[in-house]
Amino acid sequence: MFWRVLRQMITNGRGRLAVALVALVSGATASAALLNLEFDAERKFSHELRALGPNVLVRSAVAPGGSDDPGTVFDADAASGLLSAAPGGRVTALAPSLYAIVRSPGAETNLVLAGTWLDAYPKLAPWWSVNGAWVTDRNDAKACLVGQQAAARLHVRPGSPLEVRYGPRTATLEVAGIVSTGAAEDDQVFTNLAVAQQLAGLPGKVSLVQMSVAGTPEEVERYAVQLGPRLPGLEVRPLRQIAQAEGQLLARVQDLLFWSVGLILILTSLCVLATTLALAIERRADVGLMKALGGQMTRIVRLFLVEAGLLGAVGGMTGAVIGTLLSAWIGRQVFGTATSLRMEVIPLILAVMVAVALVGALPLRLLSHVRPGIVLRESK
Amino acid sequence: MFFRILGESFFRNPARKWLEAAALALGMAITTAALVTALDVGDRMAREFRRLGANLVVTPKTDTLPLEIGGTDYRPVEEGAYLKDEDLGKLRTIFWRLNIVGFSPFLETPAELERGQNRIAARMIGTWVKHQVTVPDGTTFTTGVLQTHPWWKIEGEWFPDDEVVTRGTPSVVAGASLASRAGIRPGERLKAWVGGKETAFLVKGIVTTGGAEDQAIVVPLGMVQRLTGHPGEYRRLSVSALTSPEDEFAKRNPDTMTQADYDRWFCTPYISSIAFQIRQALPGAEVRVVRQVAETEGRVLGRLSALLWLVSVTALVSVALVIGSTSATTVLERRREIGLMKALGAGQRRILGLFVAEQIIVAACGGLAGYLAGEGLGYLVGKIVFGIPGTGRLVLLPVVLALALAVTLAGSLWPLGRVARLDAAPVLRGE
Repeated sequence: MFWRVLRQMITNGRGRLAVALVALVSGATASAALLNLEFDAERKFSHELRALGPNVLVRSAVAPGGSDDPGTVFDADAASGLLSAAPGGRVTALAPSLYAIVRSPGAETNLVLAGTWLDAYPKLAPWWSVNGAWVTDRNDAKACLVGQQAAARLHVRPGSPLEVRYGPRTATLEVAGIVSTGAAEDDQVFTNLAVAQQLAGLPGKVSLVQMSVAGTPEEVERYAVQLGPRLPGLEVRPLRQIAQAEGQLLARVQDLLFWSVGLILILTSLCVLATTLALAIERRADVGLMKALGGQMTRIVRLFLVEAGLLGAVGGMTGAVIGTLLSAWIGRQVFGTATSLRMEVIPLILAVMVAVALVGALPLRLLSHVRPGIVLRESK
Repeated sequence: MFFRILGESFFRNPARKWLEAAALALGMAITTAALVTALDVGDRMAREFRRLGANLVVTPKTDTLPLEIGGTDYRPVEEGAYLKDEDLGKLRTIFWRLNIVGFSPFLETPAELERGQNRIAARMIGTWVKHQVTVPDGTTFTTGVLQTHPWWKIEGEWFPDDEVVTRGTPSVVAGASLASRAGIRPGERLKAWVGGKETAFLVKGIVTTGGAEDQAIVVPLGMVQRLTGHPGEYRRLSVSALTSPEDEFAKRNPDTMTQADYDRWFCTPYISSIAFQIRQALPGAEVRVVRQVAETEGRVLGRLSALLWLVSVTALVSVALVIGSTSATTVLERRREIGLMKALGAGQRRILGLFVAEQIIVAACGGLAGYLAGEGLGYLVGKIVFGIPGTGRLVLLPVVLALALAVTLAGSLWPLGRVARLDAAPVLRGE
């Protein structure tokens, strides 16, 4: 009897229920999409801020001394040990560098030559803009990249040869590309690490290791502290500028999304509640009729609550699925990669929507003390 | 008669109207708050990004190649060109002067410190901490590393910028690494040699920067200028400017733009147009964009505002559907009323007119309440997240009202049309 009446109610009230369902589905869709985005946003923005470049430097603990001493060098073996010492793939990019002040005989000028692993730079310094070609092979002993200011001074273009001299030794390189960064790199020449070591007469030595370490600023700081004791004589230094700004920016972005998504969720639920309330008010006459026909109030209320619950479940489920797909689409539009889907969002949305539908149906209980005659007459 | 029926409909059954208006107000509050936040986010976040430090660097144009390694320029002081610090006030006269939040000039020189019997080599970096710059329009502007390098942490006190000219022993601060290596403590008097000249100063504090300054002594700019014989000159200027994210338009070459495009480019705070304006204000200067900062900032800002716009649109569409369905429910509920009116001889246009008038009143009330609540929420979100309340935007009021009207009418017209087409008798019978 109970289920027959329920089926009757649903088939007879298709129009109204469909309208209420639209409200539930669209509310659930927006909520699910926003929750998914909110959960994923921190990871996404953290990834974006990683593009700020190296956040940990390793250099000799002995400070650079005089006016013409470009820093103390240390054994490169320590650098290769860094990757293996890193706990669980936290280092996303790493490059050792050796700096030397060399002379270009052609242009009669001194310049800074940096020997490094150029293949690591697209990851380590993604803001470098290269006119020409990148050097993609770490062992390429011929190619070099020239900073734009240096290139203007040296009068070189991609493809030109470039001769550099350090004391009695010389090396002839070929310019692969012109780099512009807006910082000190604009004045420097970048080439293979071994070439610089051989030119400077410092085989196996480097002056600096730059690392890009993934994680929150605290994690990066902790990583630097852990790494320190394993590298005696070296100083492991997190870059404050990057770490601090990154943490603060992430906190702001998170706050912003949390508050806007939180507000939208609450208000959307209330909005859906208004619709289910309107639906319930409309059902007064039905309640009155059932009561007049001798139905028990608890039974009648249960009937309507089951109806509302079913409506909430169907609406919530449909909305959660559509919303999840929508958030994947938004993720691809904004970040270029799909949002990773959080399965716990679906039961959460389902629960919220069923709850909203049930709360919306609750005013029907208040009708229990109303005499059916009055309700029936009023509705005419 | 029309207005009597209209009034009756509001007073006889206020619950439905309240519900509809409440749903509308809630929905419009979401929309308004989301729009206020999305419109504000660019400006707000741009200010946050200034924690990353300067996004523009100014150097003399006709310079020898700087020999900079790890933040230290190894060129001799005599070599290369200099810029005049008296011109710096002009930065606050460019078109986007209010977007220049700060700038700090730098001049450095090698020095030797006296520690017991030994002398320790260290760089001496001159800059401004909190310096009053006179702007050509008669105002003053206070700027220095406190603005451009907010991550510098001082233990003790900064030196007062202008003390160097007025009193005998100038104050300085020492870099953290240098201080721990040489055992320098705040309050200590130090003797140093710069280019053979002896000088003495008082260490006021220890500064931690994470950069080359950790190994150096940071001093008032005027002190390095005096010691090196370059009065009023500097070699590098860090400028921190608020910019809008670069789009495709900003990347075009201004030389090939039409006059209208050029004006638009010039009047938008793109980093390239601000760099161009600084170049015009400081003759002989090369202005470069620090790509590391500018690119990341542009990308993150662009994505964040795109995300917020999509969030707003998602919320808007869903809210529109919810409100539409609430309106539809309240109309469907009144089939009998419509049937009765029809039976009493009301024409279709009359009935439609009555309901449309009702919806307009509900939309206006709900929309206005929603707009006010939404502005309040936007204000609150701005205050909680950024500490600066969101700005009220009256522009949004007509937008929100129009939206409220469109949504309620769209939601109610379809069921109205269906009901109005029905015959009166079956409706009244309850079929």
